[in-house]
Amino acid sequence: MTERNAIRLAIIVFWTLFWGLSVADKIIPDVQFLWVGKDFFALFVKFFGSLGLKDPLFATVALAGVSALEAINFGLYLTALVSMRKRDEAVTDTWFFRAVLSSMVLFSLFSIGDQVFGDRFQLLEHGLFWIILLASWIVFRHIPIPAEHKVTWRRTPAARATIIAGVVLTALTSMSIWNFSEATIADVESPVEGVEVVDGIYKFDFPFLADKRVWEKTINAFKDAHPELKVRYIYTGPSELNSKKKTHLLLYVFTEPKAE
Amino acid sequence: MDTERTPAASTQQLVRYAILLYWSIFWLFNIVDKAIGGAHFLWVGRDRFAQFQKYFESVGLGSPVVANLALVVTAALEAFAFLFFAGALVHELKRNVNAARRWSFLGTLFTLGTFTFFSIGDHWFGDRFELLEHTLFWFISLASWVVLIRLEAATGPLTVAAPRSQRTLAVSVSAALLIVTGTSIFRHNDTDFIKRSAAVAAEPVGDHIYKVTFPFLGGSTVFENTLTQFKAEHPDEAIQHIYTVPSPLRLKKADALIFYIVTEDRA
Repeated sequence: MTERNAIRLAIIVFWTLFWGLSVADKIIPDVQFLWVGKDFFALFVKFFGSLGLKDPLFATVALAGVSALEAINFGLYLTALVSMRKRDEAVTDTWFFRAVLSSMVLFSLFSIGDQVFGDRFQLLEHGLFWIILLASWIVFRHIPIPAEHKVTWRRTPAARATIIAGVVLTALTSMSIWNFSEATIADVESPVEGVEVVDGIYKFDFPFLADKRVWEKTINAFKDAHPELKVRYIYTGPSELNSKKKTHLLLYVFTEPKAE
Repeated sequence: MDTERTPAASTQQLVRYAILLYWSIFWLFNIVDKAIGGAHFLWVGRDRFAQFQKYFESVGLGSPVVANLALVVTAALEAFAFLFFAGALVHELKRNVNAARRWSFLGTLFTLGTFTFFSIGDHWFGDRFELLEHTLFWFISLASWVVLIRLEAATGPLTVAAPRSQRTLAVSVSAALLIVTGTSIFRHNDTDFIKRSAAVAAEPVGDHIYKVTFPFLGGSTVFENTLTQFKAEHPDEAIQHIYTVPSPLRLKKADALIFYIVTEDRA
């Protein structure tokens, strides 16, 4: 395979998966076993609700329309991918162009929606996807990549050393990952130890692996360990109190002595 | 061994070094982050195990083995991407143009593959922000490869040297700016670093309601010291509730954390 074809294949595969998974996300509603995705129905209902269109029919019709356009996009990319497999370059270019144009129209529609609903972050997101799409089409179609460059792997001593180094590096990293996993997996269910930082106020520094179950166990363990105290109030430390990326969640428990 | 050699380092050559060095460092530090794991003295990084474990737990695959295997696949892709870019950089330094091109192309393929792999996960786990991040990196990788191969063929100015008078002027202006900025930063440190730990005064704003306006430097230590000071100053009151002012009620970037302490008289 030439470098040119490898890059073109990488571009088509990326966008085919992008749209294929977007369609799958619309087909699978809500959170299921083996799939989380994003709840676009809830998002659309909230968007239309904010406009005063509270009837779910509006959100349903809009989402169905978007899903249909995404399905068309996916079909176009898939056709381009199949054409590429058949080494039919002209046909591949045509289908890829149709796919890119259709995707750009969809991102333009999304951007209109973002402006109407006042979601500037999504506007940035869709604008970036739009330009990436456009740029990837330029790379696919218009950047001259000489056809004589082939993806080759010569069995030189340096190449063999690279393979060995890659395997060793992966093995060492894997050992470290496994050790770290074994050392920290207990955080998934272990209660967190509190520290009394102010008279009657205890701080709990939650690890990254902790979730709601850890919270419940922590509070129950704290109450068992301090039967003489009554929990008055629990304060979740806002992100400003965290040391940037080092701390996951800070919790403060305010207590007072139990009445006799 | 390639025998093609280019003349002395040009601006194009320097940009090619910069591209290959960037991706070599990018992937090297990703591997180091995985090898270290967790936050330590002099390294915070990102707890990828916790991130992957929570992702897989959210789809019902809570076993740490699943997260570990996904991380190992990621580490392998990153290790080879790093080695190919590092190899390309070595070849580039030796001016073996064709070899550098081959190795950088393999590095780019591994990079594109890695970000495509991540994007599948982002769709699967519903993380749209990471999807945007990985798509951007995917594109940056593609674009930097295009720049790399276009620069291979380009011709242009051979050096980055500037005339002596311009160099003198640039160094003088830079030195003056360095002195002004450095003085300002050190003065700010002298006057404000104490805010990293000093307690903040609670200002009464209503009946049994006190406002605490945090400095930007404030963290958990300031919070705890503030509560200690507040309790010492108000021994006859008990804290009933703390209300954190949400972001929409703050003056954009001018306000740091603000919270209100609501109290009641001790029985």
